Amino acid sequence: MLYRQLSLQVNESTQLAWWRTADFKDLLFIAYGLLVLLAVFASYLLGVMHWLPQDPDEIDMGAIMAGPLSSGHLLGTDFLGRDILTRLVLGIQAYFLPGLLAIGIALGLGAVAGVLAGYRGGRAAAVVLYGSNLLDSFPRLILVLLVIAAFKADIYYVMVVVGITAAPLVASLVKGKVHALQQKNFIESAVALGIPASTIIFKHILWYNCRSLLLIQATLGMAEAILIETSLSYLGFGVQEPTPSWGNMVQAGANYLLQGNFWPSTAPALAILATVLGFYLLGDGLNNILERRR
Amino acid sequence: MPQTSRLKPVILVVSRELLMTALLLLGISLVVFSIVYLAPGDPFEALLGAQAGAADRQAALQAMELPSTWYGQYLSWLGQLLQGDFGASLRSGAPVAQELIVTGGNTLYLIFGAMLVSLLFAVPIAVYSVNRQDAFSTWLVTMTAYLASALPLFWLGYVLIYIFTHQLGIFPVATGLHTDQPLGLSHLLLPVILLGIGNGAVGEILRHLRLELARVLGEEYVRTARAKGAPVWRHALAEGLILPVTEMVAAKLPHILSGAIIVEQVFNWPGVGRLTWQAALDRDYPVILAVAVVAAAMVRGGSLLHRCVYIWINPRASREH
Repeated sequence: MLYRQLSLQVNESTQLAWWRTADFKDLLFIAYGLLVLLAVFASYLLGVMHWLPQDPDEIDMGAIMAGPLSSGHLLGTDFLGRDILTRLVLGIQAYFLPGLLAIGIALGLGAVAGVLAGYRGGRAAAVVLYGSNLLDSFPRLILVLLVIAAFKADIYYVMVVVGITAAPLVASLVKGKVHALQQKNFIESAVALGIPASTIIFKHILWYNCRSLLLIQATLGMAEAILIETSLSYLGFGVQEPTPSWGNMVQAGANYLLQGNFWPSTAPALAILATVLGFYLLGDGLNNILERRR
Repeated sequence: MPQTSRLKPVILVVSRELLMTALLLLGISLVVFSIVYLAPGDPFEALLGAQAGAADRQAALQAMELPSTWYGQYLSWLGQLLQGDFGASLRSGAPVAQELIVTGGNTLYLIFGAMLVSLLFAVPIAVYSVNRQDAFSTWLVTMTAYLASALPLFWLGYVLIYIFTHQLGIFPVATGLHTDQPLGLSHLLLPVILLGIGNGAVGEILRHLRLELARVLGEEYVRTARAKGAPVWRHALAEGLILPVTEMVAAKLPHILSGAIIVEQVFNWPGVGRLTWQAALDRDYPVILAVAVVAAAMVRGGSLLHRCVYIWINPRASREH
């Protein structure tokens, strides 16, 4: 406790480099998370360029529901004999860009609301608090289904909802950060130096002091986006067969799973698990290293 | 401090919470209304045909004595809502309120059961691990929390059905909406366990409980109690366990409600989740609208309850602000 108070006063430049002070566990988490991030990004590019191991719709009659590591199919085949690895790679397209949209909205809206509440205080803070409580009242999936029923089953509409409903958390974190800066008389000094408000907000508050927080929220946001997209395509509102998505692959394989053929449904489920876990752990490791130090 | 002057701020602060809840409920109705209002297309398009102009629409609105402005429509809708009239389902034509009552009970069992399972899972682990703040148990708690969040609920559901229903033959699975077959405890157990354990909420509940418990056990009044030999648990229970538990129950209710939609889908559970899913497929928005309003009102109710518990445990709160 005392150490933390003291370290607050230590100048940033005198601190040890972050990888010297970091826990080994956190570095491991970050390494795994970066690996997942790289794999997702590379696979997304492969899918866009159509550099795929096999044709995603090609039916291999000789190898229906083949297990992993079978000849010609690294991750086996599904119930129609289609290559699972290829379909997993293509399934990333279902959430990657929409997820980025959700992250952008959550960070943008959250940062604006958080700065407004923390910097202006008073009535602005009350309005932001009201809006946050309002958005937090809705179960996210129910709100998403309402938008789907009222507008259309478009993943970008869905991700706008996901982004807006994720904003309150970002706003409260940014607001907390601004309050911490105010307690250190940081903002007061900046104002006294005659620095314009826009520079204080964008450069000193958001860029210097909130960027690691926003980065962490972005990784967690991608995990949320994957969970929502796979849930929706499992429920039948996302990408439709034969276009693959991890959620509809689990769904399509479910009947075979109940008959004891685990693999076609379990492979995409493991992909979801490994990827979401990767983004969570990346966020957790970054949080421990970048935020706890302060 | 005399009793009367202590009671008064409590009443004041509780009435402020009530006012806030009322304002939020109003906001909830406005959000839901504006989503449906902004949606493209309305029943008149189907009624009058695509060629109908604005004048025809106005005439139809007047003939049916419907308000033409958005606030008029909102107020008349709100008035009906307050009387418990949620309109009629576009698909079946039945009143939505009636459909909600038929299916609501099944979902309430599911939600409360899942909440209970989450707490039965999280509370003992939190209490057990709070005095063991070493790196390994912290890591174990963190990993359990993240694994529970990252595991796809629907896949886990099928695995549970395969193991317990198909292989072991223990739990039967409920089938179809509006079944006459009564649902018993044996139908309920598997979905409740799935929603309670597989939902991401359990991980966050566990981490929050552990953190709060550790914080309260480090407070000076607990240290004083420990020093004079008084039972620590009796002093730390209210703030260290009851308060975080009600806070998490209130905060994670929306999470569990979302998860219920998926669990009901996996288990063919005849509840509000299946109803919502079917309504979204049919674009039957009066039904989802009602579900959204009722669910958000439930969340607000839970939050209000938590605030009351907070004020009761921590009377100082009534002098805050």
